Amino acid sequence: MAKNGDQKAQLVLRLYVAGNAPNSMRAISNAQIVCDAHFASHYDLEIVDLLEHPQRALNDGVIVTPTLIRLLPLPVQKVVGSLSDAERLLLVLASS
Amino acid sequence: MSGDDAAGVRALTLRLAEAEATIQALLSDQIDAVVDPRTSTPVLLSNAQAALRESEKGLRKSEEQYRQIVEATSDGIVKIDPAGQVVFANRRFAQMLGYQASELVGSSLFSLMGEVAEGALRRSTQTRSSVKDAVDLEFRHRTGREVAVSVAETLLLNEAGEDVGHLLVVRDVTERKKLQSQLMVSDRMASVGTLASGVAHEINNPLAAIIANLDYISEQRGRLLAADPAVRDFDSLLAEIAEPLEDSAEAARRIRLIVRDLKVFARSPEEEPRGPISVVKVLDSAVRMAWNELRHRARLVKDYQPVPAVDVNEARLVQVFLNLLVNSAQALPEGSAEQNEVCISTRVAGDRVVVEVRDTGGGIHPSILGRIFDPFFTTKAVGVGTGLGLAICQRLVTDMGGELSVRSELGSGSTFRIALPVASRLSSRAPSAPQQLLAVTRRAKVLVIDDEQLMLNAVQRILANEHDVVVTLAARDALAMCARGQTFDLILCDLMMPDMTGMDLYLELVRIAPVLAEHMVFLTGGAFTPKARDFLAATLVEHIEKPFEAGNLRAFVQRYLRTQKGSS
Repeated sequence: MAKNGDQKAQLVLRLYVAGNAPNSMRAISNAQIVCDAHFASHYDLEIVDLLEHPQRALNDGVIVTPTLIRLLPLPVQKVVGSLSDAERLLLVLASS
Repeated sequence: MSGDDAAGVRALTLRLAEAEATIQALLSDQIDAVVDPRTSTPVLLSNAQAALRESEKGLRKSEEQYRQIVEATSDGIVKIDPAGQVVFANRRFAQMLGYQASELVGSSLFSLMGEVAEGALRRSTQTRSSVKDAVDLEFRHRTGREVAVSVAETLLLNEAGEDVGHLLVVRDVTERKKLQSQLMVSDRMASVGTLASGVAHEINNPLAAIIANLDYISEQRGRLLAADPAVRDFDSLLAEIAEPLEDSAEAARRIRLIVRDLKVFARSPEEEPRGPISVVKVLDSAVRMAWNELRHRARLVKDYQPVPAVDVNEARLVQVFLNLLVNSAQALPEGSAEQNEVCISTRVAGDRVVVEVRDTGGGIHPSILGRIFDPFFTTKAVGVGTGLGLAICQRLVTDMGGELSVRSELGSGSTFRIALPVASRLSSRAPSAPQQLLAVTRRAKVLVIDDEQLMLNAVQRILANEHDVVVTLAARDALAMCARGQTFDLILCDLMMPDMTGMDLYLELVRIAPVLAEHMVFLTGGAFTPKARDFLAATLVEHIEKPFEAGNLRAFVQRYLRTQKGSS
């Protein structure tokens, strides 16, 4: 479920969730709110269901959901939890 | 520290920070699932499981609630797709048509109705208005019979505003339709009743004159024959007159009976005495009266279970039973009494006494079963039945607080069922004392007041030989005579007259000549107005019902004069 397949995307994110479990649903909504507010259309957010793709999670070193991975820009960063602390989330996403 | 070492430390610090964040997230319940790295299997944490379970349960619960509402409602609910195929039907709808709900899903809704209904429903579904009137139409039951329903239909749209089908709420209106038609019948009964009593009243006065005159002519003829030898020469001529005269009298008597029957429709049930009476006794007496009709046609079977007394007018109940018995008898062919049966039974059902009259005749065709209680509806030949019998029975039984109903099956006979309320009180009125009948006459002065000249002529002819008769068309003239001091032994006065009524005259006489008021007797024809009924009940003034026969009027006057003489 990629969002905004903009070729000039500078921010590439992948969010692992577990079905429609409550923290996962919250994480999706929180991530979208922060990204929309601060990165407008310059981001890609892929949402991956752990229950369907456990191996992808292991490949990405993800062992819990929800986990948000910043794939680009490097370095790779991970945020675990429901992403309810928008300020902290923004700090991680914008860090270099 | 080498560069590798520094990178290793940074990586380790990062891993540690991640681990710590994960632990924090775990502790604050922000984690839904973990992956077991040995088996690569995701494991939902208990909070997520519980939440999922809850949401599933919630979903099931709300589904259950909707299902209960949809299944518990007394209306049928159907969802069809745009092509008219049933997507969903609740149990009630399936029941209405004699199917299981699962049998209906997938079939075309239009296949469950006739062409007319299909047209009506298609018109409704093609209207895109959000507010639509319910449509009355008929579905076809599995057994083929029609089920009258009222359908409220709503167009279903998806988020994109596309037509995804229709939701129909279907209400069974068979009962409502039945009630409506019953109401129409009772309306019709009421209007026929009003009309009939009006006609009866209008017919009564001229009829009274005809009957009285015919009687008078017969009497005079008899006297001529007896007295005058010269007349005897015309004996054969007189004999020729006698027959048409008697026929006329018979015809007039028949009119009188019909008019009397019609008056039943305008009669208030309160005006007749009622009392606890034995249904069995009344039945037996009706059987005796109908015996001549019955015995050649059927064996009579009595199945009397003990029943309590009922609170009705005995004469009226006899009339009802007699009518039903004669009808039953007439449903059977003459001469095969052994093969046929008329069964009368009594039993208790709840707080009612039920009497049934059953015959083994040909039954009543379903197409006319609904009309047999209608006034003037008859299957008998012209002149045999007036079509009033069952209408009167029903009216009488209804007035008694009971019900008259019929079951009939073609080929196996009909059963008429009368349910009557059990008597709850003792008889309110004692039977009236037998009247004396004495033929001693004295010549008296009689004043007759009637707005019908024919009536005056008839009464005058009947009474003039024995009494001095003064007649007048207007109560006001009669009042003037009395005011001038004229006296009368008897004042025969029509009750209902234009200008001054008999009641007005009575009240005036009470004021100016009370003795004369006491000598008043009313001539009443047709139906009483409530005012007249109250008046008669309050004043206890005697009255004679029109039409009357000459002999009866003479006898009444003689009896009246005797009792008057005795009391004064």
